[in-house]
Amino acid sequence: MSEQRNTHPKSLPEGSVSTRPHKEGGTSTRPFPPRGLGDGGGDRVVLKVDNLRIHYATPQGDVIAVSDISFNLYEGETLGLVGESGCGKSTTAYGILQLVQPPGYIVHGSIQVDGTEVLNLEEEELRKFRWTGLSLIPQGAMNSLNPTMRVKDQIIDVIESHEGKQKDKDALRERIFELFQNVGLPNRIYNMYPHELSGGMKQRVCIAMGVALHPTVVIADEATSALDVVVQRIVAQTLVKVKDEIGVSLIVIGHDMGLLAQIVDRIAVMYAGKMVEIAPVENVYANPLHPYTQLLIDSIPSIKERKPLKITEGITHDPRNPPSGCIFRLRCPFAWEHCAEVEPPPIYVEDLHEVACHLYDEQFEERRTNAHALIANS
Amino acid sequence: MGGISLNYLARRLLVFALTVWVAATLIFIIPRLAPGDPISAMIARMSQFEGFVENADLIIESWRKRFGLDDPIHVQYLRYLGNTLRLDLGYSMGNFPSTVYELIARRLPWTIGLVGLSTVIFFTVGNLCGALLAWYRTPRWLKVMIPISMTFTSVPPALFSLLLVYIFGFLLPIFPQVGAYGRGMVPSLTPEFFGSVLHHGFLPAMSIVLVTFGFWALGMRGMMVTIEGEDYMILAQAKGLKPFYVLYRYMIRNAILPQMTALAVSIGTLINGSVLVEIMFVYNGMGSLIYEGINTQDFGLIQGTSFILIVTSALAVLIIDLVYPLIDPRISLEGR
Repeated sequence: MSEQRNTHPKSLPEGSVSTRPHKEGGTSTRPFPPRGLGDGGGDRVVLKVDNLRIHYATPQGDVIAVSDISFNLYEGETLGLVGESGCGKSTTAYGILQLVQPPGYIVHGSIQVDGTEVLNLEEEELRKFRWTGLSLIPQGAMNSLNPTMRVKDQIIDVIESHEGKQKDKDALRERIFELFQNVGLPNRIYNMYPHELSGGMKQRVCIAMGVALHPTVVIADEATSALDVVVQRIVAQTLVKVKDEIGVSLIVIGHDMGLLAQIVDRIAVMYAGKMVEIAPVENVYANPLHPYTQLLIDSIPSIKERKPLKITEGITHDPRNPPSGCIFRLRCPFAWEHCAEVEPPPIYVEDLHEVACHLYDEQFEERRTNAHALIANS
Repeated sequence: MGGISLNYLARRLLVFALTVWVAATLIFIIPRLAPGDPISAMIARMSQFEGFVENADLIIESWRKRFGLDDPIHVQYLRYLGNTLRLDLGYSMGNFPSTVYELIARRLPWTIGLVGLSTVIFFTVGNLCGALLAWYRTPRWLKVMIPISMTFTSVPPALFSLLLVYIFGFLLPIFPQVGAYGRGMVPSLTPEFFGSVLHHGFLPAMSIVLVTFGFWALGMRGMMVTIEGEDYMILAQAKGLKPFYVLYRYMIRNAILPQMTALAVSIGTLINGSVLVEIMFVYNGMGSLIYEGINTQDFGLIQGTSFILIVTSALAVLIIDLVYPLIDPRISLEGR
């Protein structure tokens, strides 16, 4: 595996190739190495999602929650997954974790973690794979801890389920104290029950638990949504710090674009179960390409000025019956006939920036120029 | 953390004392609201048997003095409270010179044994069934338990005991139809006697267990389904814990809490329900004692048995209340 690893020359000096690039690279600057999106250049892929499709069965037909999504997660990378409520970002995460709850089900696709096909695992194999391969920092940590178990027992149970009964209780306690220290929790909560902790503390317990077994990939599902802005920031920083120290790869799901901009390397924008744009975080904010991304970024509330919400509500399609062609055309200000006829394929605009929109097809260059002129004028 | 705080203990004990006091007072007041008085009733009964009672006036007068019925009502009340607290429940008029206390002391262990044992059985079996019914790994055929237990739940226990006696005491005489132990046996701590008690107690216990366990199974199933949707269940699954561990440590452990509360609330009903069952089986517990008291208009006995049943229920609730903080860590903090 290690032979495949190929660090981008710009990001790290010659010879410093390592499994944990962020440890050596220092944690103060965000050392996102520019990477190719294809199989060509770039770092080692730790998570490869290919053509994943998830439906929710309803009496009136299947709701398409995630529609043929493909993306890679590179080692040591933080990928943000954004989109409005109901766009399928959490379902994607739960699909990757094999936790889609009925009536949801995975229609097809492939999820590979370090070369292991998750969808092919037998029940017991999957149980053992969980938390060591993929772990979850859940949405709503308020209710994610078992109210009748002490904090220590909930961390010990995950360790003992995967590593067997721990005979050396002192070492086990030291190990948990170390986890607490990583996330900035005091040792006194060791014997406490979840209801004795504040929201931010519970969220940190979840982070500590999430990295307890040093998993390959950690998925944080709106880990900060339920917290106030100050605690949100602290928890987000804790997340990034722990991720860098332990050297895992991270997927952060959220709808707070501002917060995500601070902590992620790349952002994937989802709309109605499709991934419409994926790019390094600087590109997404400085030069958003997909009309949906542009609207989304325009809608980030500013505390300096009042501006109208650009995204119109209500013109969404029936998720059981998606429109032909482009999924966004009903709300897209630039849509034309072609959008209804052909589904836009992912287009590699630069080697890092991928967008699924016909405007970026070479043959529609004129429309693109007009559209951009329109944006510039508004 | 955990354990019982002093404040919690004090408040529970206060509630217990209050229940007992209210019960004692009601038992004091209610018979006095009824027309007539026990002594005239007694004389009337005596004259029924003997046709004429000599010196009835003298008897009434001396008895009224003997029982203190001429004292002002508050003096009677305070004396009554004092006696009750010392468990001096007076004489049973129907079984004179036996005291009510003696009669109850003889019968109470049987009821506690019957109701206590059936409670342990239906609570355990009911909750286990309910938990398994909601568990995704349980084989499908076990789901037939749901309609069966629902049917049983809707039958009154006394009716059910008739059915059981008919089937297992008459058609297939496996179990004795009446009694608490073999006829001619002397209560002792021998294995034979113990076996006889279990043999006789089986049908009464079954009629209580069968009609109640469905209620607990359905309640537990409902709680389990609710718990399944909790965020911590998804996390438990994501953590890759062993399924059986998740079942008992995450699901049953949390689902059992409301069940415990429900048990505390239903203990009074349970004891009352067992009264009819005891009568059906001529089981020599508190139920048949109350029945006897009502039949012979033995006020002292009715008052004494009612009081003891209320105290027993209150005591059972108190015990559950005191155990509760040990099983739900969130409760112990209350009132600190």
